[in-house]
Amino acid sequence: MIYDYLIVGAGMGGLSAGLNLALHKKKTLILEKNDLPGGLVTTFKRGRFEFDTSLYDVYDYGDDVHVGLFQDILKKYEIEIETKVVPFNIRLKDLSTRSNYVIKGEIKDFLIELERLNEGSINSLREFMKITKEIHDALELLKDHEPINKEEYPNFYKYLEYDALSALKDLQMPEETINRMGFFWLELGSPLNKLSFIDFAIFMYKIIFKKDVVLLNNALDFSLKLAARFQELGGRLYYNSLVVSVTKKGKIYIVKTQDDLEYKAKHIIFNTSKRYAYSNILKEHEKEINKLENARSLSPNGVIVYLGLNRSIEELGLKNYKYYQFNTLNSEKNVGYMMNINHETFSAVVPNVVNPKASPKNTTILILKKIFFGDVFQNLNKSNYKSFKEEVAEDLITKFEEAFKIDIREFIEEIEVATPITIERYTNSINGSFYGYMAKGYDNPIHRLISYPDEEVKDFSFVGASSLFGANVDNAFYSGYYITEELLNKKEN
Amino acid sequence: MEEEILKVKNERENIIKTYSAKPIKNTYLDDLAQNSRDLQYVTIKEIIEETPDVKSFILIPDPTKETSELIPFKAGEYISLKMFIDNAYVTRAYSLSSNPKDSLKEYRITIKRVEKGLVSNIMLDEMKVGDGLTISKPVGEFGYNPIRDENNIIAIAGGSGITPFMSLAYEIENNYPQAELTVFYAVKTYDDIIFKKEIDHFNKKSKRVKFVVSLTREEKEGYLKGHFNKEMLEPYMKEFNTVLMCGPKTLYQDMNEILNEFNIPKKCVHFENFFIDYTPNIKDEYELKVILKNDFVITKCHSDETLLVAMEKAEIKAPSMCRVGICGFCKSILLEGKVKMIGSNMVSTLAENDYIHPCVTYPESDIVLRLDI
Repeated sequence: MIYDYLIVGAGMGGLSAGLNLALHKKKTLILEKNDLPGGLVTTFKRGRFEFDTSLYDVYDYGDDVHVGLFQDILKKYEIEIETKVVPFNIRLKDLSTRSNYVIKGEIKDFLIELERLNEGSINSLREFMKITKEIHDALELLKDHEPINKEEYPNFYKYLEYDALSALKDLQMPEETINRMGFFWLELGSPLNKLSFIDFAIFMYKIIFKKDVVLLNNALDFSLKLAARFQELGGRLYYNSLVVSVTKKGKIYIVKTQDDLEYKAKHIIFNTSKRYAYSNILKEHEKEINKLENARSLSPNGVIVYLGLNRSIEELGLKNYKYYQFNTLNSEKNVGYMMNINHETFSAVVPNVVNPKASPKNTTILILKKIFFGDVFQNLNKSNYKSFKEEVAEDLITKFEEAFKIDIREFIEEIEVATPITIERYTNSINGSFYGYMAKGYDNPIHRLISYPDEEVKDFSFVGASSLFGANVDNAFYSGYYITEELLNKKEN
Repeated sequence: MEEEILKVKNERENIIKTYSAKPIKNTYLDDLAQNSRDLQYVTIKEIIEETPDVKSFILIPDPTKETSELIPFKAGEYISLKMFIDNAYVTRAYSLSSNPKDSLKEYRITIKRVEKGLVSNIMLDEMKVGDGLTISKPVGEFGYNPIRDENNIIAIAGGSGITPFMSLAYEIENNYPQAELTVFYAVKTYDDIIFKKEIDHFNKKSKRVKFVVSLTREEKEGYLKGHFNKEMLEPYMKEFNTVLMCGPKTLYQDMNEILNEFNIPKKCVHFENFFIDYTPNIKDEYELKVILKNDFVITKCHSDETLLVAMEKAEIKAPSMCRVGICGFCKSILLEGKVKMIGSNMVSTLAENDYIHPCVTYPESDIVLRLDI
């Protein structure tokens, strides 16, 4: 059997690509190295706690009225999931200004709070909101290869080469307000002075106009649903299938897996980074690819500490859904701090605050995450790896307790720590990075999109967080849809 | 394409052009991640007769098979031994009993003879120094965690359940100066005591690690007599304690009653699943069909034998590690049939999607399984 498409990896991008191709009756095979689908969108169990590895908020989903792109594509695939809109409920502490405040409610409440904290911000915030919509609409045209009218979308052109920080300054937004709104940069893994304004605006557009949601069932449930639907549509999915080589024979590609099985396909879609695919599977060193890889930067990696606590959120005093501490809200400066292993910036999620079913009755899950820029793991080796995990967990727990004056240590019933090594071993993500390639300079998602038709490689496509649209589940998922649509349209023409 | 957009595209292109065309190297973390392989090849360096039916094996890396160093472990972890016996791929999980400090260079596993046991008898009777073995990397969740656990550790071992605690004794002594460990070790007779020399050594030399040995079927000076009870444990309990248990199921049942009297919260009690125990009501034989990636196998399975064992006997190289339902390594999808799954701790979603752990699953009808190997 010769498949039309063979997809390497059943992560969000791979599954979405598979679903779209299977929907169009293409003979599609997905090979996944692990024994479950979803990549990092998965769930593991310790004792009586089920921990979602990485997926907490789903951006670009929306509700019945404001349907986000993610929801829209799931509908195309006829996949139904139970979700709940998450209002803001964030406690944020900034060590540089010693401020500690809560952002609660809808987006308008957040904007009112920003104005209250810094009078005179509101005009620039209103202007920014309008522009995010304009940029969003312009980008939709760009994705569809339609012309973008200069009179209709002046701000798209004006800000096309701006980084987020410069653009917000240009909008006369006070610096404090930029910093306070800009804390979202942590979710994108790139500071405001590196992030393209277009991409920052798109992210904020999703937050402002398409509400983010949580999944009411666990992350693995979502991934299994995608995999089941793919197979129902006639797609084939094999687990325990690490692809080790792809070679060409005539017009057909021969794909070999670690267990010495062989598959044939006309087109290969990698749900891996280009770097992984070329060095580990294709084992080819194409000049153009090497140049591109040398020009790019990897996004930050980090550690995640998963805690199962044997008390309810009320008993523990965990009132907020998310907690953040920053060395400074100035993202450019903060990246400097974050090159040191002992820095103070971290985020925390308490899923129980929005989903009481997140863990058994009278228990709480708390997930602490800290990311790093640069090489902070040079001293890590095989021998100190286990004690390193204990040290980082100790550090994060202490920092959380001190920052928010909440005792958690004595209630820890289960603890697990994920390091870049854990992430890399499970997903083959280079350097254990969380967000794929770093959005930076001319390598922001907008630039990748503009250059996509030119940089496309014949017969090979790339989907997932390391491909076109950058990190976060909605982007990884969307990449699988968008790229297969492009492939299908091209075949038709 | 509009001029402004074209400009951005060219800019990106020009920047990329200026970079080197040399292949990009792995990062330090890439190498570290790729080096911790799933399989390790070892040679038996030494065999120690601990008791008439227990032997310890010192395993060292086999550099001729690309294992130059072993993967370090944390006390409580086990390895899965992979063998091919009588045309069957079989695995057995053994706790590591050696000093974790030495783990780059050597492991010790300690094996007790199991009556009619396939692997233990071969290991005890046929293996000799210099023989090669294939083992997994160390895995497992059992052990001491300084963040989760209290400083006073009470370890309770039944029979060969002592193995992880021997390793823990070294770990506490080496790495955790704040912790104190008392190992309660119950064995039938004096001659059944494993690691006697090391136990005596700790009891003489260590200020923070102590072993309390009780003989259940013999009276001897210097040893407690009988199963552990509240009075025996009481002197070693402090205000806050963590209890770790390893042994047969009956030990956990007995101990839970005793621990209740000390009011030890559930979060402070951990046990290693060591054995599974199940006898079906009816003895019967069924058909087992296993759908593999590019193939399928039809074989027999018996109501008193796990689906994993049935697959192994049919020469299917089914993955497995812990063999007690916990690690999830053997997970398969039950397509047809009725089964009895004993004591598995899998994510609820997997159970809802017909996943089973064949290592603890017994057939109750003809079975069709999907296993992607």
